[in-house]
Amino acid sequence: MQMINIYIKALFKKLSRFSKHPYFGFVVFGIALVIAQLFSMGGILSQSVMTSFVLTMIYSVVALGFALLLGYAGLASLGTAGFVGLGTYLIGHFSGTLGYPLILTLLISLGGAVLLGVIVGFISLRIEGMYLAIITLGLAEIMKEVFKSFSAFTNGVNGLSFRDFNIFGIAISANAVNFIVIIVFILMIVATLNIIKSPTGRAFLAMKNSDSAAQSMGIALLKYRLIAFIIATLYAVIGGMLYMINQEFSIPQKWSLDFSLNILAAVIVGGAQSVTGIILGTFMIFGLNSAVLQNIDFFVQNPSATWILNGTLIIVVIMFYPGGLIRLLKTIVYKVKGWYLQLRHLWRIYRYGQDSK
Amino acid sequence: MINNLLIVLVISFAIYFLIDILFLRKKSKRFIYRARLVNVLFVLGILSGFYITITQMTLYIFLQIFLLNIAELCVLALATTGIVLIFKTSVTTNFAQGTMATFGAFFAAKLLLYLTRFVDMSMTLKLILALCASAFVAFLIGLFIDVVIIRNGKNVNSIGKQMITMGLVLLLLGLMPLVYGLIPLTVEAFSYDVKIFTLGEMTLILPDHNYYSLIITVAILLVLFISLRFTKWGLGVRATASNEIVAGMMGVNTRIITAMSWGIAGALGGVAAFLYAPVGSQVSVSYMVPVQVNAFLASVLGGFSTFGGPLVGVVLINLFQSMASFFNSVWSNVIVYTLVLILVLAKPFGLFGKRTAKKV
Amino acid sequence: MAKILNNLLLKVYLSRSVRLIEKKELIEMYLPISEKNIRFRQTRRQDFIDAQLKNSLMNFSIKAGEPSELATQTKLECLVKIEDRFFWKQKALEMTLKRKEKKGILSSTETVEKNKLLQEQKLQSLEKCELQFSANAYSENRWKKEYHLKKEELETLAKLRKESFDAKVERKISTQRNNAATRVGKMNQKIEKMNLRLLNLKTHSTQHNYSIPEDVILKIDHLNMRFGGLLAVDDLSFEVKKGEIFGLIGPNGAGKTTIFNCITRFYRPTSGKMIFRKNDLEVIDLNEFQVHNIIRQGIVRTFQNVELIWELSVLDNLLVAAHTIYRSGFFSQLFQTRKFHQEEEVMKSKAIEVLKMLDLLPYQHVYPYGLPYGILKKIELARTLMGKPQMIILDEPAAGLNDAETENLEKIIKTIRDQTGATIFLVEHDMGLVMDICDTVCAISFGKMLAIGKPSEIQSNPLVRSAYLGEETE
Repeated sequence: MQMINIYIKALFKKLSRFSKHPYFGFVVFGIALVIAQLFSMGGILSQSVMTSFVLTMIYSVVALGFALLLGYAGLASLGTAGFVGLGTYLIGHFSGTLGYPLILTLLISLGGAVLLGVIVGFISLRIEGMYLAIITLGLAEIMKEVFKSFSAFTNGVNGLSFRDFNIFGIAISANAVNFIVIIVFILMIVATLNIIKSPTGRAFLAMKNSDSAAQSMGIALLKYRLIAFIIATLYAVIGGMLYMINQEFSIPQKWSLDFSLNILAAVIVGGAQSVTGIILGTFMIFGLNSAVLQNIDFFVQNPSATWILNGTLIIVVIMFYPGGLIRLLKTIVYKVKGWYLQLRHLWRIYRYGQDSK
Repeated sequence: MINNLLIVLVISFAIYFLIDILFLRKKSKRFIYRARLVNVLFVLGILSGFYITITQMTLYIFLQIFLLNIAELCVLALATTGIVLIFKTSVTTNFAQGTMATFGAFFAAKLLLYLTRFVDMSMTLKLILALCASAFVAFLIGLFIDVVIIRNGKNVNSIGKQMITMGLVLLLLGLMPLVYGLIPLTVEAFSYDVKIFTLGEMTLILPDHNYYSLIITVAILLVLFISLRFTKWGLGVRATASNEIVAGMMGVNTRIITAMSWGIAGALGGVAAFLYAPVGSQVSVSYMVPVQVNAFLASVLGGFSTFGGPLVGVVLINLFQSMASFFNSVWSNVIVYTLVLILVLAKPFGLFGKRTAKKV
Repeated sequence: MAKILNNLLLKVYLSRSVRLIEKKELIEMYLPISEKNIRFRQTRRQDFIDAQLKNSLMNFSIKAGEPSELATQTKLECLVKIEDRFFWKQKALEMTLKRKEKKGILSSTETVEKNKLLQEQKLQSLEKCELQFSANAYSENRWKKEYHLKKEELETLAKLRKESFDAKVERKISTQRNNAATRVGKMNQKIEKMNLRLLNLKTHSTQHNYSIPEDVILKIDHLNMRFGGLLAVDDLSFEVKKGEIFGLIGPNGAGKTTIFNCITRFYRPTSGKMIFRKNDLEVIDLNEFQVHNIIRQGIVRTFQNVELIWELSVLDNLLVAAHTIYRSGFFSQLFQTRKFHQEEEVMKSKAIEVLKMLDLLPYQHVYPYGLPYGILKKIELARTLMGKPQMIILDEPAAGLNDAETENLEKIIKTIRDQTGATIFLVEHDMGLVMDICDTVCAISFGKMLAIGKPSEIQSNPLVRSAYLGEETE
């Protein structure tokens, strides 16, 4: 009997080593999402909730790249909308209109993303701070105009639709696409965490906090700014591709300034430096709409009311909770724990007398 | 036109690199000479570009298009001055400039409808009243934003303040349909006549609306600049702009000055929106967005640190746009933005801006 | 043409040899860490085997009536738990009785009854516990024999397991050592070949050979720094000898920090040469390098306004300082390969050593935001010790420290110089510190040099006195 106890304890210890691994929570999260998708396929979970989850996942891939740029490297860029749009049109054009196999499209798209990131990175070497934000805004506007006018590539203002997504000739249904989205989402989270904890992530933070110290420690500012922009553009293009295979339609008007502002809001509201915060923020800005608010009459009648909510959220969070909602939640948990401990202490004094543990 | 621009660009780059490599490599004051070279090439390049394009376009057409675009020039100038004013006093780029202005324009349009229906006044009087109303409402919104939000966010750094303005954009964008309804409204121009005058052998047409908006804009900007240079208030604004804390210690009432700057910037935006409505389109929720983007690009082009620089940027962008839309209307925006991008890359702090170095 | 090719090859080989040396050092440094990990796991495994043995024996020992450690231990724990439980029950009982007494509804019999009840319960549980662990219920002899046999069997089994595991561990460690030794040996061969080639190339190369005397590590030659109309550094020349502590003094605004910024290339000097002896083979002019390459030449610095990274913990700040020593590229970091983890462990152990040397170990995982100023300066100093610097530039290290801390700092600086052999170049206003530890002192004022020499000479120099130190009061 004792032997079995010991073996069970050893097993738990080995498993707990897994659970102490910093990525364990996200893997469990991924498994929970897969279960949710299975439920929604079976009809237990409502379709709109699952759509909001999927949208949140797609946009949080974009938001993760943006957060690496803003929260870690301290570079402001309002051009995300253009890059995401580019991602949608790349996969829509090469896989859809031209019918190339998926591997070739991936190569072309990711290569194009790296190229674009290098261009924007070189621009960022010359221009700093808020000038960079406005210049990237101009860049996004350029891209939007190109999307509107370059009909051969993007089908103009009517939008591009992308119906049959297939890998090696096997057509993939809408539900299977959701699984792909989940897998890519978890992979992106793991990649982001790896970058954050590596010397590159620390170099980004050094660049943001004190560039003199970073330079004196051997971090070439220009190289790391380039790397940051390349990573952010890659994430945005991958997010765009996921968007296209999920929504199957892309229109240039969507990739405008307010999309970039919403991504910025998601990152800021959730907390710019923690991955959980970013996912939470993206859900609040993009997913809350479909999941919760559509059930409330006021929001259905006035579709612009969500914007008021988002705007107030940004202002309140920046003014009073600069660490984002995730830090607010952690503070709340901490405070509640404190109250609980106090109450327990008082109860102990009541039950056991004055000087008890 | 693109061919000309490319030729000019390539030639300027070639001259720059040749002179740099051949003459300046050995000198010690290389960077001062480089900067001067860039300035000279800039001026020469722009002038020659203009010259070539205008000869292609013929002077007559160029002047005509310029006169037709004066309204947009004035609108852009007002919007840009608003942005620069707020930047100088609160060290933030105000992304909500356009939306504050749209709010005022909506109010003015509603007021016009009300006046047309219930009160009997001449059209000009109604329009003047609506103009003042738009400016006043936008002024109030600017004041409100400063007093309620910016003042309480004292410990927010400048990036945070920028994001507060972005949040304000979303907030106002959502608020406007609730308050004013979803349908776009119209604002009529002061008059739809045109003025015809001759210059040499050319007969040029100047729409009345452009004429009046030019007068209004020049008057407002003159008043603003004169008061900035010569009055005590203007001195206070400039003092707060360079160092808010020390200005406060010297007795300048920084709170009133920042509040007034936000209000005045809002009023400028309101006037701009009112003047833009007859020209661009109807008053809808996002009709000032192109103007706002152009205003930001103009301020970046001109350099945020001066008041006059962005105005030069405004004129340049307007000229670029008129020329580009003549040659190729589909890609005109792309051409203009790319051109601005290249110019800003050549002078990263704006045409008249200055580089700030930090003491290590 | 051949000369250009020669120079190119020289550069390539130099960088390759540096990289090989760094790789070799990483392998050598990782070896003790991995051995430590393996030994730790070995002790853990042995403890596990022992615990298994005890547990298997426990039941038998109870039945056989033999005293077994684990049995007595468990019995004691059980008894202690019961005691504890009844202690708290007693206290609770007292409190309820007290409250009843206050309210006035207590009857005298109640107290006695309840107390007796409690004592009875306690005795019952104690007896049960004893019974569980006593051997009275079993017939002793049969179990005794079985117990001894079983004990021998299990003990031999445990010994075999331990021995096999130990053998495995030893094998693993020796193979690791052999592998590392072979790799290091190969690398040493490559490095020797590289050095031969380098020597060969150097004799044919036409690189600028800056010649400075053997014992001089830094020579500043007619340095001028002009900011527009202001001449901050005016035709300055001095030499810093290898392994000494060199002090630079002067009034505020004399240009001391400007000199540092010129040496570390934060500014570009208007004219003048800064010749640095990088190692035995190479002498370089610092003007040819960019800011972020200065640390690779062996010069590190601290800043006057403490420039730490506020969003990283103290340990991470030190790891950033080791940024140039990391050998793994971006993709090893992205996929977090084993090689990258090994390097991280090596760097972390180095950082902990440095923190131990400066007494900063309690602040390891703390964010530096809000720490006292003296601690922040120490963290900056710790940051310069990651890697092997040839020259450490300290910009006012004692600013803001009181007397005790300044004395501590003097000791630390001297230890650093003695242990690592680095040259220390400091700027300071605290004359006590300067005169105590500096071997040479240079005094400047308004960008011009006033005097250079031993501290005692500088103290008595009239120019320095009138410009900075102050005249003697009669």
